Amino acid sequence: MTAPARTTVPAARGPMAEAWDIFRRSPSAMLGLALLILVMGMTFAGPHLYQVDPFEIVWAPLTPPGEEATIPLGTDNLGRDILAGLIAGGRATLAVGFAAAAITMLIGVLIGAYAGFYGGIVDDMLMRVTEFFQVLPPLLFAMVVVTLFQPTLVNVALAIGIVSWPQTARLTRSEFRRIRTLEYVSAMRAIGAGDGNIIWRVILPNALPPLIVSATLTIGMAILFEAGLSFLGLSDPNVMSWGLMIGSGREYLLDAWWVVTLPGAMIFLTVLGVSLVGDGLNDAFNPRMRER
Amino acid sequence: MTLAPAFSRRFLLAGAVALTALATAPALSAQEAQKGGTLVLASVHKPRHLNSAVQSGVATAVPAAQIFATLLRYGEDFTPQPYLAESWEFSEDSKVLTLKLRQGATFHDGSPITAEDVIWSLGVVKDNHPFSSMLAPVEAFEAPDPQTVVIRMKQPHPAILLVLSASLTPILPKHVFDDGQDIKSNPKNNLPVGSGPFKVVAFEPGQHIILERYDGFFLEGKPYLDRIVIRQYQDANSGVLALESGEAQMFPLLDGTRLIRRLEKSGNLTVTDKGYAGIGPLNWLAFNTKHPALSDVRVRRAIAHAIDRDFVTKALHSGLSKPSIEPVAQGSPFHTEDVARYDFDLDTSKALLAEAGYGEGGKPLELRIDYMPDVEEQQRAVAEYVKAALAKVGIAVTVRSSPDFPTWSQRVSSYDFDMTMDQVFNWGDPVIGVNRTYLCSNIRQGIIWSNTQQYCNEEVDKLMNAAGVEPDLAKRQQLYAQAFKQITTDIPIHFINEVPYHTVYSQAVQNPPVSIWGTMGPMDEVWLKQ
Repeated sequence: MTAPARTTVPAARGPMAEAWDIFRRSPSAMLGLALLILVMGMTFAGPHLYQVDPFEIVWAPLTPPGEEATIPLGTDNLGRDILAGLIAGGRATLAVGFAAAAITMLIGVLIGAYAGFYGGIVDDMLMRVTEFFQVLPPLLFAMVVVTLFQPTLVNVALAIGIVSWPQTARLTRSEFRRIRTLEYVSAMRAIGAGDGNIIWRVILPNALPPLIVSATLTIGMAILFEAGLSFLGLSDPNVMSWGLMIGSGREYLLDAWWVVTLPGAMIFLTVLGVSLVGDGLNDAFNPRMRER
Repeated sequence: MTLAPAFSRRFLLAGAVALTALATAPALSAQEAQKGGTLVLASVHKPRHLNSAVQSGVATAVPAAQIFATLLRYGEDFTPQPYLAESWEFSEDSKVLTLKLRQGATFHDGSPITAEDVIWSLGVVKDNHPFSSMLAPVEAFEAPDPQTVVIRMKQPHPAILLVLSASLTPILPKHVFDDGQDIKSNPKNNLPVGSGPFKVVAFEPGQHIILERYDGFFLEGKPYLDRIVIRQYQDANSGVLALESGEAQMFPLLDGTRLIRRLEKSGNLTVTDKGYAGIGPLNWLAFNTKHPALSDVRVRRAIAHAIDRDFVTKALHSGLSKPSIEPVAQGSPFHTEDVARYDFDLDTSKALLAEAGYGEGGKPLELRIDYMPDVEEQQRAVAEYVKAALAKVGIAVTVRSSPDFPTWSQRVSSYDFDMTMDQVFNWGDPVIGVNRTYLCSNIRQGIIWSNTQQYCNEEVDKLMNAAGVEPDLAKRQQLYAQAFKQITTDIPIHFINEVPYHTVYSQAVQNPPVSIWGTMGPMDEVWLKQ
């Protein structure tokens, strides 16, 4: 990570504005943001600009990119338009990524917060549960969940959320353990604030920065996870997603590189974008990077 | 060694000249069979055990056809040839079949194969084999002397000759298997004492089956190979790699058309689609005829007209699969062209839908399609194509995937489906593998590959049952043709294509198994050029 150039930051600005200043000075973070905006723009504006049904058979199967003017990125093994698939698939893939990250955060923060705040037997119990989930191989566990229920997008997002929350829980727990001993928390207690109040209104906002970073990285991981499950044939066959394109195209890898490579490249760019943004946020929220 | 005329003719046809037969066919000694060598057969099928008397399916059939002899065998056409039985004849009324067994035949433990063993084995098949129609008309098996077997039937049963071949009715040693245990779960099924050209010496599930030449085999000089190793691979790709690296010499039952096309281009491998006329593998779209919309024959016909078989065979299957239009494969003696074909025609399809009150301007129609898992090109790709094809006539199709075979078969056999892709084999005679899909009497909940479409037309039942007991081939063909015409008109199933099974083998392999049963028949004549 390149160290951002230091200039004096006006003291009057809030912490978020400060963080943004550090963030925007990091070229890699900005590159990541640009990539994300590009991908999102493509998936949200794309369907209006390029109106082709991704499931419609439009041309001869496995037509290479550039061979037909109307199908710039070629067709897959069924003769479906790859470009239409990439555009439509982005939405599903991003939706799974964000939904899975949200589920991860919800479960992870809830369990981590109570374990970290109360300690003792509550902590012990919750951490045993967390460890139980942590020792299960995540991909296998997700496969079992998706197999037991139907491979719909919702179930895939749920499965990814269910297998990835332990890390968030542990992170939240350690943050809570640290913060609950701080003076301002004791002060809140002294003036008679309830536990819920302290957990959600005092400690959580202060524990947020590392959690935001973790959530960002979870999005990238969830997208990769979805692609992995799809590669194994466990994706919703009725919703076009990049993972589905890879999953159904892998048989044809030797004959038609574009069927798998193009959605693969989209996943790569998106996850790279998310990761760079995550790293940028990590630096931006790191107090040591600020000038005090 | 005495040869029935038909048998020596087979020798000539096959070009494999046994040493004893050399004198009678000197002109054909161009290539003399070399003895010895190990043939490694790549396989992706995982047998539960090796006793085909109580287990159907190709996984068991391939090794079982080597381990066990049957009474009859077949060449490249549907003409029966002597095997363990050297001659046979029907009675005047076609209800009694008398077979004469070869002298001096022995089991792998050296004890003689007698008529007693044969009738016991046939009884085991009749009582336990999943294809209950094979021997259902039989009233009694009799063994008047150690070389004679008499099969008495309630009615003429022309399919009996095919039933007595391949691995459908293996001859088991009674003294070994008749031990009071349930034959279906008998541990001896894993390493059975057999009667065929090869004895099994090792069976490691998921790894390999090792078969070694049985020196006392009743056909003198056979088999040519010392050993057959059936090596199991996780998927077709790794099997093909083994073939390309020379680790394996033969890969039967390969249906991945892109792999086949790739192998065709490589110079030192031969690819053939022969050897599958007996199994007659069909790939089709089945309808649940009790579904509110699909119970209307116009809707089923509309769907059929919206599906382009040529697209499936040419675009999805690289031009290697053949379109299928009727309940039997093209190689069957009962193949007919005079059926309702449902050529690709979107206008007809839309008109039929409109007539039934669906499609543009009518009620919206939403259907679900299932498919057999792990069969990519034949099942999943076609199911996805059907979704895209039916969208063009305004039917919204949802593809439902199944994580594994039991899930799919449970859904289909409990009628929890609208439409499903399916693969069903003819198994030689319609009585064995075709009737089961259409007879009213075979609507049996919980049983996969029964009449899960719940289609019932008394007329079809009458025709098929009459064909089953008709000894005259021409009359039989006529009856089946009528039945197939009626079935395709009622369209409980839309026939799409034949599974493009191919056998790939290295140049060293001579006399490859190309009979109607292919590798599911004895490979005693296969040899390796060294």
